[in-house]
Amino acid sequence: MSVSPSLLEVAGLTVRFGGLVALDGVDVVVAEGETVGVIGPNGSGKTTFFNALTGLLVPAAGEIVFLGRRLAGLEAHAIARLGIARTFQASRLCLALSVFDNILIGMHAGRRTGVVDFVVRRGRFLGEMRTAIERVSHLLALFNGDLPRRGFERVGQLPQIDRRRVEICRALAAEPKLLLLDEPSAGMNPEETAELMRDLQIVREEMPGLSVIIIEHDMFVIEGVSQRVVAFNYGRKIAEGSFAEIAGHEEVREAYLGKEAARA
Amino acid sequence: MALPLTFAASILVTGLVGVAAERVCVKPLARASPLMTLLATLSLGLVIRESVLIFYPRGADPKPFPQLLPQGGFEVGGVAIRYESLVILGIGLAAMVAVDRVINRTKMGAAIRAVAQEPEAAQMMGVNLDRTVDATFFLGSGLAAVAGILSGLYYSEIHFIMGITGGVIGFSAAAIGGLGNVYGAIVGGLLFGVLQTTAAALIPRGSEFRDVVAFAVVMLFLVFKPSGILGEKSVERV
Amino acid sequence: MSHDLALVWLAEAAVFTLVVAGILAERPWALGATGAAIVAAGALVRFVPRLGTTLAGAFARRRPAALGAGVVLALALPLALRSSPYWTFVATLALLYVTIGQGLNLQIGTAGVINLAGAAFAGLGGYSVGLLTVAAGWPSWLAVLVGPWVAVAVGTILFVPILKTRGHYLALVTIAFVFIFNILMNNLEFTGGPQGIKNIPTLRLLGHAFTTKPVLAGVELPSHANFYYAALVMAGLTTWVLRRLHDSWLGLALNTLRDDEIAARCCGVSITRGKLLAFSIGNFFIGLGGAFYAVMVGFVSPPDFDFGYSLVMLSVIIIGGVDSIPGVVLGACLLVPLPERFRFLHEYRLLLYGVVIVVMLLYRPQGLWPAQVRRYR
Repeated sequence: MSVSPSLLEVAGLTVRFGGLVALDGVDVVVAEGETVGVIGPNGSGKTTFFNALTGLLVPAAGEIVFLGRRLAGLEAHAIARLGIARTFQASRLCLALSVFDNILIGMHAGRRTGVVDFVVRRGRFLGEMRTAIERVSHLLALFNGDLPRRGFERVGQLPQIDRRRVEICRALAAEPKLLLLDEPSAGMNPEETAELMRDLQIVREEMPGLSVIIIEHDMFVIEGVSQRVVAFNYGRKIAEGSFAEIAGHEEVREAYLGKEAARA
Repeated sequence: MALPLTFAASILVTGLVGVAAERVCVKPLARASPLMTLLATLSLGLVIRESVLIFYPRGADPKPFPQLLPQGGFEVGGVAIRYESLVILGIGLAAMVAVDRVINRTKMGAAIRAVAQEPEAAQMMGVNLDRTVDATFFLGSGLAAVAGILSGLYYSEIHFIMGITGGVIGFSAAAIGGLGNVYGAIVGGLLFGVLQTTAAALIPRGSEFRDVVAFAVVMLFLVFKPSGILGEKSVERV
Repeated sequence: MSHDLALVWLAEAAVFTLVVAGILAERPWALGATGAAIVAAGALVRFVPRLGTTLAGAFARRRPAALGAGVVLALALPLALRSSPYWTFVATLALLYVTIGQGLNLQIGTAGVINLAGAAFAGLGGYSVGLLTVAAGWPSWLAVLVGPWVAVAVGTILFVPILKTRGHYLALVTIAFVFIFNILMNNLEFTGGPQGIKNIPTLRLLGHAFTTKPVLAGVELPSHANFYYAALVMAGLTTWVLRRLHDSWLGLALNTLRDDEIAARCCGVSITRGKLLAFSIGNFFIGLGGAFYAVMVGFVSPPDFDFGYSLVMLSVIIIGGVDSIPGVVLGACLLVPLPERFRFLHEYRLLLYGVVIVVMLLYRPQGLWPAQVRRYR
């Protein structure tokens, strides 16, 4: 395997809620174009890890370096503009807004027109918007050829799986370098999960340079999409390696796979 | 002897009005944005105030309030203390202790705290959500009635508009004390009162500007310590 | 299709006729007939499904023509109402509320920044005009242009630190601010105390004083028509600007942070910047409405800007439709004139506004003219 330059380096990341240590000295490195799976039982700190990466939480200790830049002290919106996009475990779409609007907001940071263009030089703004909507339609069509036609419908009218796709499109619209997926298969049945796997495959092919960190409970998804797996327990990273290595790891089996293995 | 009974009835009725208000314009909006609930309750307050103004005989005029409390006072080290202030202070403290008992020592209080933290989890643990919320509104509105009566006793008159400043001051006091903490409201209320009195004493024509000074401090508090003096910093779940 | 054109113009002429008849009808039978006609027209559009969709389609296809005819009718309104100068004044007041409502709607409707100090920001605009003209001797038109900036400046300085706080804090602080504003205006020397500021000079544009009666198409109009036309330009420009701001990156970002702050932040939207922009732009138009009010009535005093007026402004946007630009226009044009038409309602005005807000929030939270999806056209 060739060694690609690392995009994200997390060292000793620690997050505390009052007296509770939610994340305890976590080290993770992600290379460019790599997909890393994150597993661990509920409450093991996976989502907290994402929240710290995206600036929603202020870490008590440790360092996050992204593209050679330390993220300490940056607000969430500034981190997003550097090229980290994410989805959420429970959908965070604006149901009253249109499908297009929900994705266009992802491109908000890259806009080239300002208040003067909105009001007086309207043509410039509308021209930019037309291009943006074309790109959004292209993204939507990757997952479901029917979606671009429904662009001006409210997101609340879409079925669950399409909403998840809209959320992934919103993250992709920002043209991020790192995509964080927080349990995309949550609340899906097996068929929908299979569709999701296909969607993630499309993302891979469409954007080969994109790095992805994916939190998942579904081991088939993890096995299918990730090149490397990190296992969390009680806020600590307990193991790291290929899926096969992690699946055979003693501590991971105890903490997490025990139940899964028993079921299999 | 009829007067204390009237007071008790007034507290009871106000509590029930609070429950009715909750049923009419809080619960139906549970799924909407919390700000809609705020707008609805504020508007309901307007409706109640205007109803008093319009439908109560000569509602625009201040109404005399019976004087019940002992008049006069005494002096300690140059500070004049009125008996009625002492009585009001005593009743206020008693009310706070009672609220503390209800919230922290009774089953209903435990339910209220549980609902405040995690409504869904509380429901799964067998807490009756509707009844708990009813109880909260009954308690809160009843306490507001106590405050209204005390204010009437103190100033010897009441006015249809008196509630709104009281309400805003009450919320401000609770906010600087720390929302969700009984003692926070006490600390905040005392602080607000001290600020008002200090402003009235130190600034020329300060009695007119005492609320301005007090609110200004409240705004500073919200900037520098938004969780209040005794409040815990809350963490939003993502 | 020329069908569409005829339909659009016919519909607008019908609305105009009904409005004018509703205002001017004196005798009970005339009023009753007008009322019946309004109810019948409403019922027709509501319950004959073909008619509603046909009309909507015609208006959609003939937007410029519809707007043009609307402007002509708005210009003609003082002619139709010339027998009653008071109603020209009421119509002007409604246009002021359109201006104020659009500003408030950007804050509350688009950005979810609950500002209950609308009355105080309008008051800042109005008092600034009073002080600049009476005390500093500025010309009125200049004071009207500068007054709103005072509202913007005070709002920005006082509220920037609080804009970030969550939940109900901001709303409650804005209520406190209305009270502070009233206490200050009542007690400060230089604002005239309870008497306020009197004898604000009227507007004078290009040598035309607004106290002289304008002549339009050979017909002499009441002097209030001057203010009506100025307010029409103001409300029209405001609505045009806010429509374009709403259908832009700014409106989109504000809607997103209103619905989900966390999602908005993770998409690179700065919450502080967004709320600050919404709050400042909104306060400009609220202050503009207050400034115009001051030169129109010629005086300002504390009761003109008390908390009740904040709730009137709020009810304008709630009845029209939260976040809906045309909804604000509709809300202002319904709520302001109605209590004037039915004088016996005047006493119950605030009570009714309160009831209207509660009922609308409970049964039709999207308002009478709900916000539409952005189309970027």
